Amino acid sequence: MRLRLKGGRVLDPANGENGVATGAVRDIEIEDGRIVAPTDSKADAEYDLGGDVVLAGGIDLHSHIAGGKMNLARLLMQEDRRTYPEMPGNFCGCGGGRAVPTAHATGCRYAELGYTTVFEPAMVGANARGAHLEMADIPNLDTGAYLVLGNDDFFQRLLAAGAHQETVNAYVGWMIEATQAFAIKIVNPGGINAFKFNARKLDLDEANPHYGVSPRRVLTTLIRAVTELGLPHPIHLHGCNLGVPGNDETTLATIAAAEGRRLHLTHLQFHSYGTEGDKRFSSSAARIAEMVNANPNISVDVGQVMFGQTVTASADYMSQYRNRAIASPNKSIGMDIELDAACGVVPFEYRDRNFVNALQWAIGLELFLLVEDPWRIFLTTDHPNGGPFTTYPHLIRLLMDRDFRNAQLATLNKAAQAHTLLGQITREYSLEEVAILTRAAPARILGLKEKGHLGVGAVADIAVHTEDADREAMFSTTRYVFKNGRLIVKDGLVVELAQGTTHVARPEFDRAIDKDMQRWFDESVGLKSKHFRVADGELRGGAGPTILKCEGVAP
Amino acid sequence: MADVAIETIEDVVCGFCGLGCDDLRVEVEGRELRAAGTVCAEAARLIRRLDVADRPASVAGAAVDLDTAAEAARHILLGARATLIGGLGTDMAGAGALTDLAIRFGGVLDHHASDGLFRNYASAQRTGWLATTLAEVRNRCDLLLVIGEDPAGQWGRLFERLFPEAPLFAEGRRRVVFIGGAPGETAQRQLGHADISHLATDDPVAVLEALSVLSDGRMPPGEAFGGVPAAELAALAEAMGAAHYVVATWNAAALDDGDLVAERATALVDRLNVTTRAGVFPLGGRDNIIGVNQLLLWRLGYPLRTAVRGQASTHDGALYATEAALADADVLLWVSAFRPEPPPSFAGKIIALAHPETVFENEPDVLIPVGTPGVDHAGTVFRMDSIVSLPLGALRVATLPSVAEAVRCIAEG
Repeated sequence: MRLRLKGGRVLDPANGENGVATGAVRDIEIEDGRIVAPTDSKADAEYDLGGDVVLAGGIDLHSHIAGGKMNLARLLMQEDRRTYPEMPGNFCGCGGGRAVPTAHATGCRYAELGYTTVFEPAMVGANARGAHLEMADIPNLDTGAYLVLGNDDFFQRLLAAGAHQETVNAYVGWMIEATQAFAIKIVNPGGINAFKFNARKLDLDEANPHYGVSPRRVLTTLIRAVTELGLPHPIHLHGCNLGVPGNDETTLATIAAAEGRRLHLTHLQFHSYGTEGDKRFSSSAARIAEMVNANPNISVDVGQVMFGQTVTASADYMSQYRNRAIASPNKSIGMDIELDAACGVVPFEYRDRNFVNALQWAIGLELFLLVEDPWRIFLTTDHPNGGPFTTYPHLIRLLMDRDFRNAQLATLNKAAQAHTLLGQITREYSLEEVAILTRAAPARILGLKEKGHLGVGAVADIAVHTEDADREAMFSTTRYVFKNGRLIVKDGLVVELAQGTTHVARPEFDRAIDKDMQRWFDESVGLKSKHFRVADGELRGGAGPTILKCEGVAP
Repeated sequence: MADVAIETIEDVVCGFCGLGCDDLRVEVEGRELRAAGTVCAEAARLIRRLDVADRPASVAGAAVDLDTAAEAARHILLGARATLIGGLGTDMAGAGALTDLAIRFGGVLDHHASDGLFRNYASAQRTGWLATTLAEVRNRCDLLLVIGEDPAGQWGRLFERLFPEAPLFAEGRRRVVFIGGAPGETAQRQLGHADISHLATDDPVAVLEALSVLSDGRMPPGEAFGGVPAAELAALAEAMGAAHYVVATWNAAALDDGDLVAERATALVDRLNVTTRAGVFPLGGRDNIIGVNQLLLWRLGYPLRTAVRGQASTHDGALYATEAALADADVLLWVSAFRPEPPPSFAGKIIALAHPETVFENEPDVLIPVGTPGVDHAGTVFRMDSIVSLPLGALRVATLPSVAEAVRCIAEG
């Protein structure tokens, strides 16, 4: 099967190509799902792009799209499903919801926006099999999942007992393989575990009440583990004290704790709060952006807050238990899970007239605009926690259009306006920078060499947008989207459902750990370790995963 | 067949009751199966298979091949005005195929054991709840409230699984308080190393309400609640406040006022979490109801008791419950692969994808006997806590189609 996309302006920052700036148009040729060098061969189909902008398929490296907590959110927020019923133009009758869309709606809405790869950032090991079943039902997207680690009792016990790093590495390798994960996520390092022992907060250097292990030790040990195992993505960290005014100091200390080693701070907006001002809630975005700029080992995604109703779902039960007091509507679910992790599901409505919410919005945008290197910052709303991913086009316009941004700012809570320097920031993102944030940079930080670009050999995941000075309008729809070289979206509507793949990482590790895992599962968890393990054939309806083999580095 | 060797399969996963035991031993002799070693009565009964010829598929009682039966079923579905896809005792693959079928032909989806689930949801959806899972109960719980009748009759190894002799964290003698019925022999044996007490009552809702008030540091007006003296409840409230991890468990399906028990237990656990840790651990999970419900939530956005018609879904916990939905239906597609659960009485047409030993009141219009997940074929089921799911293996060579295979035959024609 050979396709030819004719006469597009190719915007491919990974390969240094910017057809938007130069005005140059060219063809892109696809053969059997891959981009190939142009040939004279007859194509099975040709698409005349007429100078439209051609991008690699979007990659979202942090969006909660699958797993038990999303189903709890769907159960709790049936009003979200009822308010957003099936959309026309789909042909399966199983789509709906906005904050927590169904698997079908997730795949279709993302595809319509030009996204073709999305990573679930908080898969709990005990729930891995279910999360993979759910991901298999998401059409049009390739997926992958980060395994939540660091709060599990096996790991805490290892650290408390002073285990060697090699043992920790073996454990992490075993867990990645057993749960078919792609990377390691730490959520509130040790805090979720401490909450099970009735601690209500845990700072970076505070000892776990049972194990005596500090979050700093959890973090540094796991940073070393993923480095030595050779996992492509660095530790994906949801830090301590999410949402707490004054957590800016923790965030700065956490960056310092990495000591120059690679670390990804996720939904940084929720971790950039100071305590200045009469309301004891202020923006520390400038301080934190400065430290991110000065530390090239650090990457971040923002977790932008977007106004409206959503539902927050996190493994951070410690924080979500605190947040349930401000749930809107007033209901919430929490759960301790399997000596492994936990979850908390709390509905929120972010209001533009509310001081805290308005300032959260401004803090997120300050971070976007003050972090200088677009290769180290990623466009996320922490879907659905800051807002649904369907708000991305609006967010892109906020980044690219200063007048629009300031006009929005002027409508917000007055006190919040006075507490942000957003109005003075003149930066506007270019289209190329947006392409880096949403394509090239996530592919690079995830180690996906065949994605996020349009060079020869790349997977033919391609989005075509018609340029529009209104960037929200431009990114709200796509003229064409191709998944593995198959046309899945035409003129903004899904025309076909493609089955994606699931990316997993496969590090080498010392398999002697298997005996310890068997004993642990038998005696403590009450489940056989071999039944905890998810087999390749259980992924994607028997198709199995796409495996990225990792080559460890010497410790 | 006298010289067929007996093969023993270890670590068999059991998918019947929702507790998810995965350490069963099954002896296989040709096509005969029998459980050996530690096993509950229900699993022993449902695993036991004899070497008998499979019942054939049939249309109006006359034996036919699978394709003919599937074609007849398809014909009925195409002509149906309102179909209830009921029973839903199936693994995840079967649940997915049935959801596809509902999308294609229309139908209401409900599970035969959903009454308990929806009694719990009355609370879980209105206020939410703070819950816990099996491994947490095993290791942390130092005070367990068992509300209603002793559940060991339905979940034969429940207390063995919940309270092992050497937990990681719970210190000293662990306490179990039965609020309602008295613990039976099985419970007493499995909890031999714990302190068991019993508050006899036929009104556990009143007891839970009083415990909430007492846990809040207030005295409820009255000398007894649900027949339990206030002083005993005050002592229990004090013990809960001093405990490290309190767990409340109940089987809403077996309680007439299960919705109120769920609500009051949820409120009590909410109150306890202000100062200590606690969680609800609702019982249920028979015949993969939790897995089917999970799949519907991610596929349709709604739980069980959802109607799919004209490319859209609607959910109504009352209107689309089996009994109510049958009143409006002209076709019942009954699915029960785990056990010979017969369909409810129904005057319309019945298509049954059923366990081969099912005894029918009236011969179904179409019968397709199906294999059992975890016996005849591999599959996946969820445990009652909705978090953990388990891989079922095959214990013998399948001679019957799985639910997923049968449904695909019907859909594809």
